[in-house]
Amino acid sequence: MHAYIGAKIYPVDGPPIDDGVILVEDGKIAGIGGDLPIPDGVEVVDLSGKVIIPGLVDAHSHAGMWGDGEGEASQDGNERPGPITADVDAIDSVNPHHTSFASCREGGVTTVQIHPGSGNAIGGLCFAAKTAGEVVDDMVLKAPTGLKGALGENPKRGAGKDSPKTRMGTAALIRDYFARAREYGRKRDEGKSPDPDRGLENVLRVLEGEIPFRVHAHRSDDIVTAVRLCEELGIAYNIEHCTDGYLIAGFLGERGIAAHVGPGLSSRGKVETANRHEGNAAILAAAGVKVCLVTDHPFLDARYLMAYGGVAQKYGLSFEDTLRALTICPAESIGVDDRVGSLSQGKDADFLVLAGEPFSFKSPVLATFIEGVEVYTRPTL
Amino acid sequence: MLAIINAEIVPVSGDPISGGTVLVEDGRIVALGTDVDIPDGTRIIDAAGRTVTPGIVEAHAHVGISEQGLGAEGSDHNETTDPVTPHMRAIDGINPRDDAFREFREAGITSALVPPGSANLLGGSAVVIKCAGDIVDDMVMKDPAGMKAALGENPKGAYGKRQGKAPATRMGSAALLREALTAAAEYLEKKEKVEGGGDPPSYNAKHEAMIPVLRGEMPLRIHCHRADDIVTAVRISEEFGLKYTLEHVTEGQYVAELLAKHQVPCAVGPTLQHGSKVENRERDFRAPIALIRAGVPMCFTTDHPVVAGQFLPLTAGIAVSWGMDYDVALRCITLASAEHAGVADRVGSLEAGKDADIVIWSGDPLDYGTFADVTIIDGEIVYEREV
Repeated sequence: MHAYIGAKIYPVDGPPIDDGVILVEDGKIAGIGGDLPIPDGVEVVDLSGKVIIPGLVDAHSHAGMWGDGEGEASQDGNERPGPITADVDAIDSVNPHHTSFASCREGGVTTVQIHPGSGNAIGGLCFAAKTAGEVVDDMVLKAPTGLKGALGENPKRGAGKDSPKTRMGTAALIRDYFARAREYGRKRDEGKSPDPDRGLENVLRVLEGEIPFRVHAHRSDDIVTAVRLCEELGIAYNIEHCTDGYLIAGFLGERGIAAHVGPGLSSRGKVETANRHEGNAAILAAAGVKVCLVTDHPFLDARYLMAYGGVAQKYGLSFEDTLRALTICPAESIGVDDRVGSLSQGKDADFLVLAGEPFSFKSPVLATFIEGVEVYTRPTL
Repeated sequence: MLAIINAEIVPVSGDPISGGTVLVEDGRIVALGTDVDIPDGTRIIDAAGRTVTPGIVEAHAHVGISEQGLGAEGSDHNETTDPVTPHMRAIDGINPRDDAFREFREAGITSALVPPGSANLLGGSAVVIKCAGDIVDDMVMKDPAGMKAALGENPKGAYGKRQGKAPATRMGSAALLREALTAAAEYLEKKEKVEGGGDPPSYNAKHEAMIPVLRGEMPLRIHCHRADDIVTAVRISEEFGLKYTLEHVTEGQYVAELLAKHQVPCAVGPTLQHGSKVENRERDFRAPIALIRAGVPMCFTTDHPVVAGQFLPLTAGIAVSWGMDYDVALRCITLASAEHAGVADRVGSLEAGKDADIVIWSGDPLDYGTFADVTIIDGEIVYEREV
């Protein structure tokens, strides 16, 4: 057992604790508080003057599956030919030795939801993993955690003459495929065993409420199309990116939608991101949207997720909301909040030691712990 | 006249001045200090104890020439029809209505060196402009301000297999660059011999554009990320006796001593970029910290829009979090950038006689949560934050 003492702790699911104690045993938090007795024989680590927050949870990452300095050979995010590749599973593209996981640990990201890319209208299954390990299956926290969908510019760029070539074409393809899945499910329920089809089965998991549809949409009309489709289909869903969300914040807020806002710190390369605004997260949160700040790694390097939080805070997201948008909110959105996203007894010992108050250049991540193991120690350059 | 009073002045070129005044007339700084007489009728801006710095300078930004939110239509920085296009001029591709200029002003960035892109071995001449205006010619500070060159992945990616012509390799890129320099040098030699009775060479726009480079009147600005590309850039530049700068320098930490020996000016970045290419896989803050330690003249760049220019101050802040000295980091986005761009006689620090490009900040200029409250270019308020 280890006891980390002396630091200011932001548990996220409770008020900050000055001069707090975290007891860690077998990778779990055995106790947390301001005035905890430290059992005999415990190894004590003094973190006086430091700040502890939960490990960050990144609800939209392509860690381990996307270029990131490795070029074409590591482009494993978008299966072709599309536009419907509901049968693929992101876990089969992920390399735990990819540099992106080191970036995650350096940036304090301890849990990621890894998505297939957005090149296809239906891209495949997402899953949640810790960011340290040798064998991806051992890193899994939950699988699957959702089915990826995409609207807007990306699916239109598909190969050759194949549909979709328009936004309405993309929506039609998704509608049609979900209708086929429903038909597939009906046949199965009637005992007429249909020809096995893993793609339709994955969509059926969405229709039956096992996993949500996680829809890439930047422009406000694409976001509205996502809402229209998902409400028609009666499925659970959230919006990925939600770049224009601030333009229709009331519409999203009244539905209590979760928005995975990001990638942060980016420019406006695409037409569909022309309205990008740093105040998006704050405006959405104020309207009642469940905001998660995401990297879309590698598009924002996971090393800079905390800086992105600082910028979101700068443009009006409160300190508490910023911290929640990087921890408990994404943990809830992914469905892993029983294990991560806040520091409380019984949860995984995933936490960060910061040099000072979060979201400042004066407070780099000094150490990252996953399940009680120090997986990153800040080097001196 | 304009006076900024009650300011925590950080001139960059000198010691901070607490509770000071910056006095501006006709677009220039005429005085700064704690004991400045303010003439009657002067417009007063009360900084109320806020930090005041020189305008931020971006030493390498494709603002206006790789426009935001327009997709392919906004892309005017690479003339990818020929790998050798030194006769392109960035000024002819800049749209002052690019919304990024507004973002630059809101981030306190007041001037920028705009080079062509890096698809071509010789991409054309760069221009240094102020970040406010409707007519690019009125925004110019220096034109031409260097000749863009590129090594590494981009030229061979734009040509090679894609277009079925050279360069397809790094050595092919180096050979074509040498060929272009040699041909331009022969052209220049012929031109110079005319006065001694020789025949003038027939006009060649490409060679003409290279003359200021060959004469050392402006630098070759060479895109290079990987350490071997950096060394190739040094090798070729030294062979031809050129004045040169290096752009990006992602793996500079491996060759810092070589760069220090030749005192090569380096614009480092975009450090916050993702690993879009193999050649930038080692992007992080090791290079800038190693270069500063070795005594290499360097500044930071975002390579806007690769990283949005507005995050240049944040980049310097992250460098501090990695151990760079605060004053050095601030210098690397102001005076050092102005030196890199060749306009340090006019901008980059707050000094009497320099352009009145000034920013009043809501807090520490390098911290993630700080706003530029007021941005001033040539003595005019070009942005004021609504509070």
